[in-house]
Amino acid sequence: MRPGSLLRYVIGGIGFAALALFILAPFVQVVHLSVLSTLGTPEAPLGTYTTLNYRNIFASDALKSSLFNSVTYVVLNVCLTLLVALPAAYAISRFDFPGKRSVFIVMLAFRVTPPLVLALPVFILFSKLSMINTPVGIAVAHCLFNVPIAIWILESFMNTVPRAYDESAKLDGYSTTGFFVRFMIPVIAPGIGVAMFFCFIFSWVEVVFARTLTVTDGKPITMAISNLFGFQTDVGLVMAMTVFSLIPGLAMIFFVRHHIAKGFTVRA
Amino acid sequence: MKTFLPQYLPWVLLLPAAAIMLLVGAIPLGIVLHYSLHDIFTLGSRSWVGGQWYLDLLGSRRFYESLLRSLGFSALVICIQFPLGIAIALLTPRSGFVRTATLVLLALPLVVPWNMIPIIWLSLIDADTGLLGQAIAVLGVDFDHKFNAVHTWALIVAMDTWHWVGLVAILSYSGLASISPSHYQAAAIDQASRWQVFRWVQLPAMWRVLLMALLLRLIDSLMIYTEAFGINSGGPGTATAFLSLDLGEEMRGFDYGPAAARSVVYFAITSCVVWAFVRMASLSEPTR
Repeated sequence: MRPGSLLRYVIGGIGFAALALFILAPFVQVVHLSVLSTLGTPEAPLGTYTTLNYRNIFASDALKSSLFNSVTYVVLNVCLTLLVALPAAYAISRFDFPGKRSVFIVMLAFRVTPPLVLALPVFILFSKLSMINTPVGIAVAHCLFNVPIAIWILESFMNTVPRAYDESAKLDGYSTTGFFVRFMIPVIAPGIGVAMFFCFIFSWVEVVFARTLTVTDGKPITMAISNLFGFQTDVGLVMAMTVFSLIPGLAMIFFVRHHIAKGFTVRA
Repeated sequence: MKTFLPQYLPWVLLLPAAAIMLLVGAIPLGIVLHYSLHDIFTLGSRSWVGGQWYLDLLGSRRFYESLLRSLGFSALVICIQFPLGIAIALLTPRSGFVRTATLVLLALPLVVPWNMIPIIWLSLIDADTGLLGQAIAVLGVDFDHKFNAVHTWALIVAMDTWHWVGLVAILSYSGLASISPSHYQAAAIDQASRWQVFRWVQLPAMWRVLLMALLLRLIDSLMIYTEAFGINSGGPGTATAFLSLDLGEEMRGFDYGPAAARSVVYFAITSCVVWAFVRMASLSEPTR
């Protein structure tokens, strides 16, 4: 082993340990507090380890339903996003039409628009459409940033499929729809997976729309956690709920762990 | 492409996406524009005030102070997160278990709901029960994120770095992973130094993804809301009153007219940044 590569090995090792410490410390904190009795009850005195916090989640209808609400709007959003983004991505990938460049810039502008800027008008508009207090409203609102992302990712995957592929299928007598369903979708399946991953994550972590659009009912998990803060906050319960709010994201990362780097490469 | 397909087909394919973007993007933007020109007593009764809210906003000292604070915050986190993220990407092995473990680590904070992040960090720095808080107390530092502006800033910057350095590192890594071994071999034959390899092989490969990361980080940090609000609600005083926190304050106070004008101005700011980046991406490709 050359001295240079040994040095690199040592720096790499120290660097990795430091990174792991920095990233994991907050998570360790959450898990630790979530199994600690932070208010103190006869059953679990203050500061003892307990599963009480987790049992309290399942004893509370509000907390249970918030978990269900969050999962519902995220899944709805992913389905809706894919449904509208797939044809749009195909159009952008395969056709030249006037204004194509502007479409791209407009998408990017909406992708980065802070939800807070549009929260009020979206609330007013959705009140008129009776889409308040329901996971459907949140699922639709989250399309603001997820549709552009999905179109972008899907388009970059479609661009890698040669156009000759489309044409030969059409010469074989397949319609555009038939070609799309039978050939294009299987070929870009990894891209669809990547798009689903990002839409899921961005919808799951978003807070401003999710809160604004749920006033009395249909509250997401993030709102349910904030509501736990009060005069005497049960920190243990907050942290147990936080653990639940982390699980879907961690599960998604686990599924795509070998493709994380590939997934982030979206060609601008 | 040969046109045995109807000319209008691309428009038909774009229609569903356009309809939904109209519903959640363009129409709300129109509503906000409309409100920004009115005084809203209740949502039913309003009176025309023209550009009054814009003049008030653009003539107020508070707006420029917040803008400067936000720009300062963006500059600070970008100066920390980009060198750090690129360094992590350069040190990450190209294959094997350590590679996967590093990438998973980096992705973890990105999947935490945004309002959970300040809650987690506040519990981390709690002097009695927090891991970091206890460590700081042992070191003898009197950490006070509520009333010491420097400490509030330090906490928000540390939290933001924890949250986002992974994005910069993963994007950089994906750029590096696209370099074929033959490029490195060619550089080795030319006896290129470590710096030359970075400047002429690795940086060009990372350029586009770095530009994308810079755009996302710049806008997200300029418009930071949930995380900063959760730490100290803009305090102490106005020390962490960033652009979005001012907007949130107006919305909570039901000042719909001024809030709408502010929203339009903020949308204009983010759109200008996007436009500048698109220009930059198409103009300045570094030479290989």
